[in-house]
Amino acid sequence: MKVSRRGFIKSTVVAAGAVAAPHVWLPVSSEAWGATLKKGEPIKVGLLFSLTGSLAVPEEDSTLVMQYAIDEINKAGGIAGSPIQPVIVDAKSDFAVYSEKAKELILRDKVIAIFGCYTSASRKAILPTVMANNHLLYYPTCYEGAECTQNTICTGPLANQHSKDLIPFMVQNFGKKVFFVGSNYVWPKESNKNAKVWLQQAGGELLGEEYIPLGSSEFGPVLNKIREAKPSFIFSTVVGASDIAFHKQFKQEGFKVDSMPIASLTTGEIETRAMGNEFGAGHFLSAPYFQALDNPTNKKFVENFLASKYGKNGVTHYNMEETYTSAYVFKYGLEAAAAKLGIENVTPRAIRDNSGGIKVGADVSPEGPIWIDEQNFNCWLVPKIGQCQADGSFKIVKQAAEHVAPDPYSIYPNLGTCTKDGLKAPDGKIRKNVI
Amino acid sequence: MNLYHNKLAQWAAYGVFFAIIAAVPLFVSDSFLLNQLGTYGVYGLLALSISLCWGFGGILNLGQGIAFGLAAYGMAMTMQMQTQDPESNPIPPFMLNNSLEQLPALWEPFWSTGLGITLALVVPTLFYVIFGNLMFRARVSGPFFAIMSLAMLSALFTIILDMQPYTNGANGITPPQPLTILGTPLDPYGPATYWLVCGLLIALTVGAKLLTQSKFGLLVQAVRGDAERVRFLGYNVAAYETAIYALSGFIAAVAGCCWVILVQYVSPAQLDVSFSVTMVIWAGIGGRLSLLGSMLGAFIIQGGQSYLGDALLSTWLLGLGAFFIIVVRFLPKGLAGLLEMGLGALSSGRRPKQLEPADRANAMAGE
Amino acid sequence: MGSLDLNSLINALVLGLSIASIWLLAAIGLTIIYGVVGVINMAHGEFIMLGAYSSYLLQSYFGLPFLLCIPASFVVVAAIGLVIERGLIRYLYNRPLDTLLATWGVSIVLMQAVRLIFGSDPKYLAVPALFSSNLQIGFINLSVFRIVVMAVTALVVAGTWFLFYRTRFGMQVRAVTQNKEMAASFGINASRVYMLTFALGAGLAGVAGSLFGVLNIVLPTMGTAYVVQAFLVVVTGGGTLLGSVFAGGLTGELQSIFAAVTNDTFARFLLFLLIVVFLWFRPQGLFAPRSVRR
Repeated sequence: MKVSRRGFIKSTVVAAGAVAAPHVWLPVSSEAWGATLKKGEPIKVGLLFSLTGSLAVPEEDSTLVMQYAIDEINKAGGIAGSPIQPVIVDAKSDFAVYSEKAKELILRDKVIAIFGCYTSASRKAILPTVMANNHLLYYPTCYEGAECTQNTICTGPLANQHSKDLIPFMVQNFGKKVFFVGSNYVWPKESNKNAKVWLQQAGGELLGEEYIPLGSSEFGPVLNKIREAKPSFIFSTVVGASDIAFHKQFKQEGFKVDSMPIASLTTGEIETRAMGNEFGAGHFLSAPYFQALDNPTNKKFVENFLASKYGKNGVTHYNMEETYTSAYVFKYGLEAAAAKLGIENVTPRAIRDNSGGIKVGADVSPEGPIWIDEQNFNCWLVPKIGQCQADGSFKIVKQAAEHVAPDPYSIYPNLGTCTKDGLKAPDGKIRKNVI
Repeated sequence: MNLYHNKLAQWAAYGVFFAIIAAVPLFVSDSFLLNQLGTYGVYGLLALSISLCWGFGGILNLGQGIAFGLAAYGMAMTMQMQTQDPESNPIPPFMLNNSLEQLPALWEPFWSTGLGITLALVVPTLFYVIFGNLMFRARVSGPFFAIMSLAMLSALFTIILDMQPYTNGANGITPPQPLTILGTPLDPYGPATYWLVCGLLIALTVGAKLLTQSKFGLLVQAVRGDAERVRFLGYNVAAYETAIYALSGFIAAVAGCCWVILVQYVSPAQLDVSFSVTMVIWAGIGGRLSLLGSMLGAFIIQGGQSYLGDALLSTWLLGLGAFFIIVVRFLPKGLAGLLEMGLGALSSGRRPKQLEPADRANAMAGE
Repeated sequence: MGSLDLNSLINALVLGLSIASIWLLAAIGLTIIYGVVGVINMAHGEFIMLGAYSSYLLQSYFGLPFLLCIPASFVVVAAIGLVIERGLIRYLYNRPLDTLLATWGVSIVLMQAVRLIFGSDPKYLAVPALFSSNLQIGFINLSVFRIVVMAVTALVVAGTWFLFYRTRFGMQVRAVTQNKEMAASFGINASRVYMLTFALGAGLAGVAGSLFGVLNIVLPTMGTAYVVQAFLVVVTGGGTLLGSVFAGGLTGELQSIFAAVTNDTFARFLLFLLIVVFLWFRPQGLFAPRSVRR
């Protein structure tokens, strides 16, 4: 079923209790998605990442790995007989540009799905556009949750999955006392709320919680506080350039990795290489993917990707792998929708509605099998804990036995649960598009 | 007589410009393009505000994001509260995640759309009146004022980022639905919204143009030329400076409101230093002494970024920076100055003469 | 939170000294360029970034030891500064607001050029193992590298002071600062003084960059983090060497103490506000030269 944007706006306004609108204000008729897929013709998808500016460091890699995945799918015959055609734009690390480019991709280029964003701020910037057009966003990295829309599919770990194993593991091996350090924005704070739940269950004790301004490189005051608190380990959600400064100053200020390691949700292969291996060695990371994962699919993925023209940066990273699998989630979702409706009737929303339960098997997914939750459209996955070695690679020290369920509202049970139709409050009311 | 300085010719140029931008929806049915041109209109408003403050007032303001951002937050809060229900669902979702049990008092006024929009416009303007008054009475001027406005902007940026329960921090506020006025949703992709922005741009430009031609405008330009001399003539220089600064703040506030109507989003990025400097670059390249030139500068640069940026990537910014250096070095009056020189040469039939004394004073403004 | 015992206070004060030395080192080149040449150099952060990249280049491609990279970065960035002064800045000396804008353009160009040459992925500077260790005296803790930064800052301040107040060139600089026309009529080549001062200021930013690259990360955007702070030090100090030393010390200590009592974000906000309020009372800064109406 196609839902026109006009109809959408009207219905939601009516739902909000406003008076029905006279039509003079909405004269331009524009369909939600004014295109049709035809067998054999290219399927356009948008790649909305930053290729310049401060976010280019992670997001350029996302664009590269996405192009690699598309090439791979096309070589194997495309989707339902059609090749995928990427429309690549540069969001310039500017949230206003993300919003503009999302509109361009949806309204002008008529892509059927957008793969994009690395930060929650950019995702929030484009969501009104995506939702108003009943379109589809694949968000291929970790985020905090507490969001329930009918237009997104996420292949990264949610806050409730990310630290579930890490905290008990650290408490068991290093001691009960922990100090939280994070960058000052939403994701670290939400992640820490989840971590506190796991910490309490593990019988640990929180000694302090500090947030550093985004982009700040001065960790002296925080390290002084940590020195006084004497925790058994540090739990870090510091991101970007700050994370590298944090690890460097940690060592320079005389902290010893053996007696007080940093357990991080962000410091992967790319970060370690940027700070110099000596500063990363010994610390821990929780992620669904590591370059060193020992399975045939991953070996093939690493080898082929690094040998391809997209592997110029010489590394595979959890963020890149989550982006890679999202391409296959899209492929399978589109195939399921086409099988049910016929390819010419496939819309962005139809892909999403047919993606619940989609599984990317161990033969394709380098991190091992994953599947999309049928209710909240986040990803069932296995977080792994790696320890950074002297050469900058990670050694997997623990891997959960079972998949961890994604739950965007795990720490807010009073707000409800995210279902495929919207956020279901405890009193049974369903609200759509909660962001 | 240089045609460029002919008032009638100037108004004619403005008239043509207004006619073109007002006619756009008659030819454009592409809803993306209409929305994009609407945001360019917002950038035009910002360039206008910079031109008024810097070009005519001689006050280089690197913190125009203060008014723009505060107003944008006000508007976003208004739109967010329109989607909340006082009975069943009174608190925006992000606050619940930040463990707020009830709506903070700061947000209460935004239940009312009228009051919300009024606050979105009044608060930034009032902020400019107070901050300007403090600074100008202490005779902070020129580069020092520029750095001070930058510091103030950074302070606000930091605190908005930090006050996460009230502002949603770095993620910003994303009203899920368009603005509803008098029971009618204002489709951000439709001509109605475009005409709203366009109408505000035209009205404020005409107002600003008339102002620059009034006695008040003359005095402001005299202050730009030599503040000390105007002070000796018995005028309250600080009052004039505050007035022009606050006016430009008001225009930037209007721009902030329009921007949120068009993009349904605001975050601390709108108070980022680089965005405020970008506004100055628009006016600098277009010609800060010309309101129209500044606006065209905004259109050219933003258009270039939208349509050339993807193809050129890093080279685009490189080219923009180089272009900007060349303009500052050789065309202190921007592209509008180029037109002035061209028309001057045409009317007098000889090479343009050197800077006039008044211009030299402009160039020295702030020293 | 909120309480501060004696040990923490002393540690915060020591750390404040280190923060102050970092900010002062970032600001000193800017101070000289502003104080003597009268140019608000918005590209200063990018000069710092260039210093870090030239150290990286010399270290990884020519194998230069880190300690030699510091003076080498001075030379490289000073040369770049010289070219920019000759090619652009000298035409804008009578237009202070325009120099501010032109140097902003320069900063964009430098940042993008570095990105095109080196790519946008971060680089790092390797340092001797000694610099990655820590010194503990009683309950006072400080990293060796922070001590190195403090020493270099002290050296740079002393060197600059010596150059400006004890040499013939310094006398010429001071003469030109006080009255350019008068100095010129005594046969001082003001244009040459401006040129050399600008290059010196740029070179000092290069020194700062090669040290910040170790504390932090080498990225095309790294300079922007320091530049606003450096401006506030210069403006608060009033544009003189002595003023910057005091302003740097004061703001660094305040930041450290505020951060110890509250948190880093709020400390930064408080500091910005305090500076705005201070400048409202004393717009000419801490130690301003007698204002000359040119």
